[in-house]
Amino acid sequence: MSTTTVNQAPDSESPYGFRPTLRGVLQQKTALAGLLIVAFFVTIALISPWIEPYSISEASCGVFEAPSRAHWLGCDDGGVDMLSLVLRGGRISMIVGAVATLIAIGIGATIGVLSGYFGGWVDTLLMRITDYFLVVPQVVLMIAIAAVWGPSLSHVIIVIGALMWTGTARLIRAQVKSLRERVYVKRVEALGAGHAHIIFNHIIPQIGPLLVANTVLAITVAIFNETALAFLGLSDPTAVTWGTIMEHAFDRAAVSSGAWWAIVPAGLSVAFLIMGCYMLGRSIEDALNPRLKVSYLSTHFWRLRPLVGRGPDAL
Amino acid sequence: MRGAGYVWKRVAFAIATVYVALTLNFILFRVLPGSPVSQISRVPNASPEMKKILTQQFGLDRPLWEQYLLYLREALHGNFGISYTNRQPVLDNLVQAFANTIPMVAAGTILAIMLGLTVGVVSAVRRGSATDHLSTNIAVLFYAFPTQFMGMMLLIGFAGVLPSAGMSDPFALDATAWEALLDRLKHMILPVTALMLTLYAENALIVRSAILETLGEDHILTARAKGVPRHRIIRHYALRNAMLPIVTMVAMSLGAIVTGSILIEVIFSWPGIGRALYTAVLKRDYPMLQGGFLFITIVVITFNLIADLLYYKLDPRITT
Amino acid sequence: MTRKPILAFEDLNVWFGVRPDNPGFHVVKGVNIALKPGERFGLVGESGSGKTTTIMAAMGLLPSSAEVSGRVLLEGRDILRDGEKSVAPHRWKDIAMVFQGAMSAFNPVKTVGWQIAEALDVHNVARGVAAERRVGELLELVGITAAQSARFPHEFSGGMRQRAMIAMALACEPKVLLADEPTTALDVMVQDQVLKLLVRLSQELNLALILVTHDLAIVAQNCHRAAVMLGGEIVEQGSVSDLYHRPQHDYTRKLFEATPDVFAVARKPETAKATSAAPPLLQVGHLKVSYPRPRSLREVLRREKPQAPLVVNDISLTVDRGEMVALVGQSGSGKTTAMQAVLGMVKSQGGTITLNGRDVTGLGMREWRPLRRQIQMIYQDPYESLDLRYRVRDTVAEPLRIHRIAATALEREALVVEALERVGLTPAARYLGRFPHELSGGQRQRVAIAASIVLKPELLLADEPVSMLDVSVRAGVLHLLDELRRDARMGILMITHDLSTAANYADRIAVMHQGRIVEQGPAHQVIHAPEADYTKALLASIPDPDPDPDRRAAGDAVSSRRQPSTALPDHVSESLRHKQW
Repeated sequence: MSTTTVNQAPDSESPYGFRPTLRGVLQQKTALAGLLIVAFFVTIALISPWIEPYSISEASCGVFEAPSRAHWLGCDDGGVDMLSLVLRGGRISMIVGAVATLIAIGIGATIGVLSGYFGGWVDTLLMRITDYFLVVPQVVLMIAIAAVWGPSLSHVIIVIGALMWTGTARLIRAQVKSLRERVYVKRVEALGAGHAHIIFNHIIPQIGPLLVANTVLAITVAIFNETALAFLGLSDPTAVTWGTIMEHAFDRAAVSSGAWWAIVPAGLSVAFLIMGCYMLGRSIEDALNPRLKVSYLSTHFWRLRPLVGRGPDAL
Repeated sequence: MRGAGYVWKRVAFAIATVYVALTLNFILFRVLPGSPVSQISRVPNASPEMKKILTQQFGLDRPLWEQYLLYLREALHGNFGISYTNRQPVLDNLVQAFANTIPMVAAGTILAIMLGLTVGVVSAVRRGSATDHLSTNIAVLFYAFPTQFMGMMLLIGFAGVLPSAGMSDPFALDATAWEALLDRLKHMILPVTALMLTLYAENALIVRSAILETLGEDHILTARAKGVPRHRIIRHYALRNAMLPIVTMVAMSLGAIVTGSILIEVIFSWPGIGRALYTAVLKRDYPMLQGGFLFITIVVITFNLIADLLYYKLDPRITT
Repeated sequence: MTRKPILAFEDLNVWFGVRPDNPGFHVVKGVNIALKPGERFGLVGESGSGKTTTIMAAMGLLPSSAEVSGRVLLEGRDILRDGEKSVAPHRWKDIAMVFQGAMSAFNPVKTVGWQIAEALDVHNVARGVAAERRVGELLELVGITAAQSARFPHEFSGGMRQRAMIAMALACEPKVLLADEPTTALDVMVQDQVLKLLVRLSQELNLALILVTHDLAIVAQNCHRAAVMLGGEIVEQGSVSDLYHRPQHDYTRKLFEATPDVFAVARKPETAKATSAAPPLLQVGHLKVSYPRPRSLREVLRREKPQAPLVVNDISLTVDRGEMVALVGQSGSGKTTAMQAVLGMVKSQGGTITLNGRDVTGLGMREWRPLRRQIQMIYQDPYESLDLRYRVRDTVAEPLRIHRIAATALEREALVVEALERVGLTPAARYLGRFPHELSGGQRQRVAIAASIVLKPELLLADEPVSMLDVSVRAGVLHLLDELRRDARMGILMITHDLSTAANYADRIAVMHQGRIVEQGPAHQVIHAPEADYTKALLASIPDPDPDPDRRAAGDAVSSRRQPSTALPDHVSESLRHKQW
């Protein structure tokens, strides 16, 4: 995805000199596009009550009415304007995604940092727990829990948040473990610094960018799971989210009546939001990965310098 | 033998995980406040005798730890109780549903892995080319499509062209074995395609970045200096080493496969285990729900174990 | 010796990153080298001098951002003529290469035998049983039994891996072998073996060899001719004897001066200690340490102590104020673990550590903390030892903040400036705001030292303080340590694998081998009258920068010329003149 040339210069700058900057990340087209998409959806969610053309609770046209000049995206099974629903639906989907992600990242980062920093039995214990959570099929457990507790938005948030942290914990642990072995951490420790000083001054700032990338990527999974749970009828049935919009449409046979407009707007909104998050998160993560900077198997080869037209330096 | 200890460790871990899942299941459905089994009265259409039998069967009149031991014993014998809806043993229902699920999910997953590997390898080795940009962007798009959305789009797009619900034609009564197979395959096309499209994208992205990481390793440079042809380097060096992270990541995405198949079975009315779970939720059929949860967990743990053993086979450096 | 050159570089130029709007970096500038069959040629330079790029160009293995001009002639034919197409057929068949990091140069998931056989296979040399036999022969040629071909690279030791790499390089009977720092990561004695192997093979097979290295002594002992590279250019080229005895270029001279000669022991033991009444600064008695690792879950559950083999087994030594003691040993000898124990970062299993008369053995982390002001450590890798997000000011001020020294920011700044000037970073104002990546390797190491001495410790522990630095800046850093010892009367315990460095700077040397100190004494005595066999073997394996060491026997004139110059780099001595510590 990145357009920068793959470069391996045996004698050039040391690999340690590399520091990704926000500006550097945003100079990548993918990252910028991703950021713009996410910003667009967030803005819509914030201002949706003021730009919705119709009420989202009252019928303003016929059942499954096709898109028209008055109703750009048609209407749902209850005759509610689809554009208004989709504009509003992002709000809860995004809140659920964001809150669940924050819970997950909070748990994951804490476990990852403790595990990677202290190592030994702390590490073994925490990673064993993580391994259990990793093999339990999360959505199935979510279904079981949501089914037992009953459908509700807060249950969905808690369940997603409490089950989704394993990947983050593993990633952060690996990162912290390698930071822990870094000489400068050892040096600061030998200076007499306490664990808290090291963790807050030297570990967390280092994993910060990675954590940001991971958060953005985790949001995609959280939103995915929210729509999946909503689709299975385990979310709050009265809330308007992209997940419930699709669920309603499917439930009321929008498919067999060919009312694609009841499905496509919400589906594409989810898809574009997730795409934006993915592009942004992936670009940051790639920029942080030094192993992607070098390639020994490029499709392009070195060139011979043409003998003419290069100025005095050429010969 | 190299790392026999490793194999045993992984097997022991898998067994321990099954045990944890069993216990979690017990806590979730019995111990937590408002858990369903303790409220036998909720059982739909149950006569007082039936309730009494159930109470005895679950040992609800005994202390919790005894209930737990009873539950473990029954579970080990494969007894997860009777489904509220069709009065059949839960296990029989699950095995039947699982048998329906396997061909569809296996076909979708295998196709997704093959497609993902191909696309991922091609874009990684032609990094930065138009091919790479195109295939990566398409993969990101498919990655972003919610499974249910993809399924419904296929349904709308191919309504009338291909069978869209169930796994066989209920009216083809006197079909020959050949016709029945053909019919089954036709019914599989849409769900398998939907599953493949949702899963391939993540695989392609995983494979691409795993290979890109190996392309910077020194042994690739050695291979080039050695005069090893490009395709051989890709196969024996880049892909072979990238297989290690790929196996790990695909194993970690087993959960996604499960989610995907549940959604797809619901959309295409495929009578598999995912749909069984979905119906159980709708009908508050707790024995089925409980059994289904456990069943799927065990299947996932098994595949995880297979992935662990495969990793061990692929990486000669593992010793413990 | 009028044979035609087998390999010749003619006016070779390499640029990186040339774009229409960007002239790029000119990393190799007009290199001319001609190599005769069977000749061994040394290419010497520091990191970034373009030496690796030069030989990579001969293999056609430059990255896609590279642009090349000039010719590389193999037996008179220009192999760069048509780019990749014309180089590719010669790879491994005519020109083979041994890479720097043998660890990562092998494919980790294939056996060594498979990888050698692959070279035979792709070049149609041999297949099947014939290939298997040939692999066995090749491995035996480099001293590895044929049966070991079924092993994986990680099952080999570093030296074995490098020898297997050489066997693989010889698979297709090349005419030229390019070796890129083939021994950098290896211990002195293993390095010696690998180099001897290369020389022997070159003689037996009439193989032309280019040895790329930063170590002049290696070239002096193993090559016929050599070229010195600086900033992409060859500044001097000639026979190794000429380079050593009659260097023309300043840079060559500087390089030789910076390559210490082990037998030119700098200091005789100083006059009797005036403060013999006081207890020694550091006294280590019968110290035992096992490999440090945190307790495992099982050990916590069973309340066991971690069991591990002893890495440091019963060592005793003392360091006094104003004294530098060198702890010499190969990797794995336990010297770093011993130092970690002295620093209180690793628990000891037995013995005593006394600091300034106070027994610090077995103190907990909390009790150690105030003591850390007295004892500071300098690390090997200056790239790694600084937090890249910290400016120089913050790095040097951090110890002050940890120990709550200096009440105000102004006071703290004054101490930081003082420390920076003390290590020769003057004027300090110029460095305060910089990030590590804006500093050179030597400067980074000075910043790390400043961050240690800002607490005014009495004892400095230095773990290979110069081994990661370029040869020409090593002397400066070592001089700085020497001054701290002399002027600030700090006691210094320095770990090094390099007996020459120890010989030149330490008062006393302790030689460590497999967790024990096999020999300990004044530097002069350990070098000139070694008693332990291990010390003798170590001394014998050190390459001598003098290509004709027999001459030294005739008169000591030569080696005395190369005693480390007492003149300091200008900016250092400048800062010292008006500096009271």
